[in-house]
Amino acid sequence: MWSFLVLHNTTRMAILPHHNPTLRPLYHSRMSHRILLQTSIYCSTTTTPAKPRGDQIMVNQPSALGQNVATVSTRPVLNDPTLQSTWTHRVWVASGCTTVLISLAKSITTAIDSHILIEPILAGFIGYVLADLGSGIYHWGIDNYGDSRTPFFGNQIEAFQGHHKWPWTITRRQFANNLHALARAVTFTVLPFDLICNDNAVLFGFVGVCSGCIMFSQQFHAWAHSTKSKLPAAVVALQDAGILVSRSQHAAHHRPPYNNNYCIVSGVWNEFLDNSKFFEALEMLFFFKLGVRPRSWTEPNSEWTEETESAHL
Amino acid sequence: MASFSLPTNHALPSLLHSHTPKATFFQNPSLLPKSSQSQFHGLKLSNSSLVSIPSTSYVKGSIVAKITEGSLAPAFTLKDQDGKTVSLSKFKGKPVVVYFYPADETPGCTKQACAFRDSYEKFKKAGAEVIGISGDDPASHKAFKQKYKLPFTLLSDDSNKVRKEWGVPSDLFGALPGRQTYVLDKNGVVRLIYNNQFQPEKHIDETLKFLQSA
Repeated sequence: MWSFLVLHNTTRMAILPHHNPTLRPLYHSRMSHRILLQTSIYCSTTTTPAKPRGDQIMVNQPSALGQNVATVSTRPVLNDPTLQSTWTHRVWVASGCTTVLISLAKSITTAIDSHILIEPILAGFIGYVLADLGSGIYHWGIDNYGDSRTPFFGNQIEAFQGHHKWPWTITRRQFANNLHALARAVTFTVLPFDLICNDNAVLFGFVGVCSGCIMFSQQFHAWAHSTKSKLPAAVVALQDAGILVSRSQHAAHHRPPYNNNYCIVSGVWNEFLDNSKFFEALEMLFFFKLGVRPRSWTEPNSEWTEETESAHL
Repeated sequence: MASFSLPTNHALPSLLHSHTPKATFFQNPSLLPKSSQSQFHGLKLSNSSLVSIPSTSYVKGSIVAKITEGSLAPAFTLKDQDGKTVSLSKFKGKPVVVYFYPADETPGCTKQACAFRDSYEKFKKAGAEVIGISGDDPASHKAFKQKYKLPFTLLSDDSNKVRKEWGVPSDLFGALPGRQTYVLDKNGVVRLIYNNQFQPEKHIDETLKFLQSA
């Protein structure tokens, strides 16, 4: 019975996305059948469990350390509006896709005119590879530094924090809702290239593929949080082949101390970055030069401790 | 002691140490000791001439004789975690493992301290004492020691004076205090120097191995 309980603070989640459309919780933990945490639940005497919303349930939930952390949460609503796509979201996704497609189209047409093939394809491949690296570095920065008050990035940082706490939410987000923030960034970044640059098959190949991968990294991320049974076979095949970030690799990021496997496009850089202590070196550098400690140094940290979820919702 | 400035070259691809300049600096271009490996995998200095980055570091400073194996470790007196002054000479008569680490409460240093703690009995069995030194103040050391229940002494190297005097190399082009461990014999002579910034537990393995084989 306890496994059916979903701990989801819709009030908090409502605050984050509504106030800034750039929010995008990214992560997802292992599903409940893999979660070994035990959850004790005590029902408040003032609520009626049969109500679809607004149940107040006191939960004693073990933290990563096995200590119990009490939280008040509300039973989730399946069609939570903060997870749904709005027309604004869709417009941004459309504009992002348009700029990417223009870039790719320019690359292809120029390549055909110039009778070159290998160079643009190689440039595109490099774009795909570097998109993964970029995703990791950006993700590391946002995960570890700043908070909701940080200028420009504040809402994203808060969203990333929220994602660590409620990682499964990303699988409930509708497509445009999930991607619109990145699509907006891609629109602003790629449009100048589309408008200003001369037809250059290599440049547009790189820009198109790199920006496309970055824009869709949120989708790859969401897929990495899903279960195999819920994913299309093609996606599972791409994950297994290492072309898209795998579910297991990303799950490792969601385990304490949350300081590895930051890349979310293909994950091809993860092993190198983690084994070479790249991020640890950067963290030490920032600490000694700027005096800032990354959040991952204070693990286990209740801010990032996941709340468990039912597999049946 | 002479002072001079040297040209800097930060374009090195690998994360070599920035060394305190020494008199033979210009005479030995880009020679690394045979036993050197990448910084991430540990650098055991098994010969006496650790040579610096080829030709090029703008480092203002005095020439000091770098501590190498076979050197007599220079004396120091530093405050421990309780604010008491501790001299290196106090440990004469038994082997001492002196480990320099970047800072308290950083992941690598915590791993290293805990690893020394967990193997402390083995060090004692080998007759050795363990001392940790960083630039943190005694209060920081006290909290660090208490939090992780470290059984050995932590010393505060104010302004990193002793670190510089011993010539502990920095990492990341001088941005990061290096992680280097010295094993001194009972006469205070350096018998082993081990450097590894990002694999801190190896310091324990290497020094223990050395002590147990000595």
